[in-house]
Amino acid sequence: MAGCVVPYIDLESCTRCGVCVDVCPAEAVVMGLAGPEFSDPEACTYCTLCETLCPEGAIACGFVIVWEGDSRRGADGPEGGVC
Amino acid sequence: MPDAADFIRRMPLLANLPKDVQARISRRMIRRSYSAGETIFIEGDPGRAAYLVAEGRVRVHRTSRAGREQVLARIGLGQLFNTVPLFRHDARNHATAQAATDVTVYAILREDLLRLVQDSPELALVILRDFAERLDHLTNLVEDLSLRTVRGRLARFLLVHAKEGTVRRQWTQEEMASELGTVRDVIGRALRSFASEGLIRMDRHRIVLVDREGLESESDS
Repeated sequence: MAGCVVPYIDLESCTRCGVCVDVCPAEAVVMGLAGPEFSDPEACTYCTLCETLCPEGAIACGFVIVWEGDSRRGADGPEGGVC
Repeated sequence: MPDAADFIRRMPLLANLPKDVQARISRRMIRRSYSAGETIFIEGDPGRAAYLVAEGRVRVHRTSRAGREQVLARIGLGQLFNTVPLFRHDARNHATAQAATDVTVYAILREDLLRLVQDSPELALVILRDFAERLDHLTNLVEDLSLRTVRGRLARFLLVHAKEGTVRRQWTQEEMASELGTVRDVIGRALRSFASEGLIRMDRHRIVLVDREGLESESDS
């Protein structure tokens, strides 16, 4: 599952300006009818560039902090987008 | 959700107060709910009430003119906040409080709290103990911000938050920066530097702590 986590996009704050689509180095984001969406989640490298450049602060790349070998609940599961 | 009287009896901070004092406090408590992200009060505005958290978490922070934010405290279930300004002469909120999750609080208006404290030395002692803890917390924060490097603060933050709780919460780099008195870019650089030195491993959405000794040594810097 860890490879499938994608940044969380708050579609209510998003103005559909398309910056995230333009800057994604993996071309993993496209502009959908409701707003940006991950067309190729596995291609996303979680580089956080979309979060950095989103002018509305509508994208969040959350990190969980774990010890090597930690398999407790939440160590793998994110709150944000999962493909 | 328990009613105010029931909540006071269950809350360690106020549970040992005499029953008549508990009853008087509960009659003055006003229940309020806030959605995640909603502002409860703003720095500089008149301090109208103190609050007890009945559900959820509250984030108390100050913001510079340039928009840089420093988190002063995270308040959870059964904790008091915004008591300090109410005892100051100008009674202005000295920080902004925002609901970090959906939150329910009990508010006690300033005039009611001052009257209750005047009438009850037991409650005055509770408030003093709370002030002492707050002072201790802020003293540690000053030590962190003034005597530790950003790398040191970040290492300590990672060590503390990898230990806490059974369910992990997520932190964005922006949130880490607000906790550590710096900006997002600096956090990003420090994380990359830790990763290149083998202290941590960035595994997509996970910051995996690899070298405990190295991080502990870094946290003293």
